[in-house]
Amino acid sequence: MPVIQIGPLALPVYPLALILGGWLGLEVSARAARRLGLDGDHIYNAAFAALIAGVVVGRLTHVIVYWSAYRSQPLEIIGLNTRAFLPVPALIAAIAAWCWYVYRHKLPWLIMLDALAPGLLVAVGIIDVGAFVAGRNLGAPSDLPWAVMQFEVSRHPAQLYEAAAAFGGAAFVWWIIAQARPSGVAALVALAWYGLSRWLLEPFHADSLTMLGGLRTAQVVGFVVALVALWLLARRARTSDAPGIEASAGEVHDT
Amino acid sequence: MTRARWKFLILGLLVVGVVWIGVNRVPGGGGEAANALPPAPAVGHPAPDFTVTTLAGEPFTLSELRGKPVVLNFWATWCPPCRAELPELQAAAQRYDGEIVIAGVNQAEAAGQVREFADAMGLGFVIPLDADAQVSRKYGARSLPTTFFIDREGVIRQIQIGPVTEATLAQLLRTIYP
Repeated sequence: MPVIQIGPLALPVYPLALILGGWLGLEVSARAARRLGLDGDHIYNAAFAALIAGVVVGRLTHVIVYWSAYRSQPLEIIGLNTRAFLPVPALIAAIAAWCWYVYRHKLPWLIMLDALAPGLLVAVGIIDVGAFVAGRNLGAPSDLPWAVMQFEVSRHPAQLYEAAAAFGGAAFVWWIIAQARPSGVAALVALAWYGLSRWLLEPFHADSLTMLGGLRTAQVVGFVVALVALWLLARRARTSDAPGIEASAGEVHDT
Repeated sequence: MTRARWKFLILGLLVVGVVWIGVNRVPGGGGEAANALPPAPAVGHPAPDFTVTTLAGEPFTLSELRGKPVVLNFWATWCPPCRAELPELQAAAQRYDGEIVIAGVNQAEAAGQVREFADAMGLGFVIPLDADAQVSRKYGARSLPTTFFIDREGVIRQIQIGPVTEATLAQLLRTIYP
């Protein structure tokens, strides 16, 4: 596992990429929020609420599920082990806390989602680069000229394909935001873009999770998500074409 | 875009999408396909094979353990987090005796030094000696401790960098046992 060595301290690359991706993603989202007429601090505050809720619920559910292990080591309940979390409850709690923050501060939902969109794509891109450097999510064997040697096998740099798609998506979504489209469009475009990129690029991975006799799960889920996002975009385009709707979208942008 | 163009776009994508998903199906249905991948120290790949001598002086070949889940831990006596987690591995070795193989690969230390340490700690699990750090290099285990959780088919299911606790070990073992 690649690490950055600082004296006796070995910092693994992938967790560093997670932190860097999260931080830069938030900064991009905060800038997008300001561009959309919102206070960028709301992005940081909502993310902080989500982080705290995710950490607390993720650890508590871990303690409940593995109580027999914690009973003899109660101090581990507040231990710093980053593995001791259940990710699904943590994610649900984080989303709930984010929604609670938006509701409590009466923020416009769609504009908050629009602001999040480019930041999330930037975060995904940075994490993909981290995965490439750390040798995670390896690419399928390939003899193409741009294949890279990882673990003594020439492979597709699949993580970099996905990083390029994510950064390209972030730039496109940023452009959409700059065009002052109706609220919600940037978020749907980001969702469609990400779903399509997973659908297109997942086959270049060596170790995809599979379902239903060999279908690649990420590819199928990405495709369904992209179709739903495109369908919602089509509906949004129809309602935006209706008289009066464009004006209300413009008012929202001014909030 | 007009309504008709949206319909054309979505229907066209539906057709192309289903074809692309079908063409890229993993042959063999997934689970068995992992063994067709080249060995690599990465989740979902077969664990790279190696043969070294254990502290007891016996040969240790990873591939001969096929059929049993294996916890492959890389450690050294000078590493404080390793010392902190070794009692957890010892407890697991006793709890799952005969069902899960716990192997603590010692990284590039003299056999005498490792024996003295293992005796003092009361370690009873197998300790393969990676005298020239070849196995560590093969597994990319640069920061210690690093632990690989390998299923019965010899496929890596989880990698833990840093020490395990009793709770996280129980969580990680669920990926390879039962």
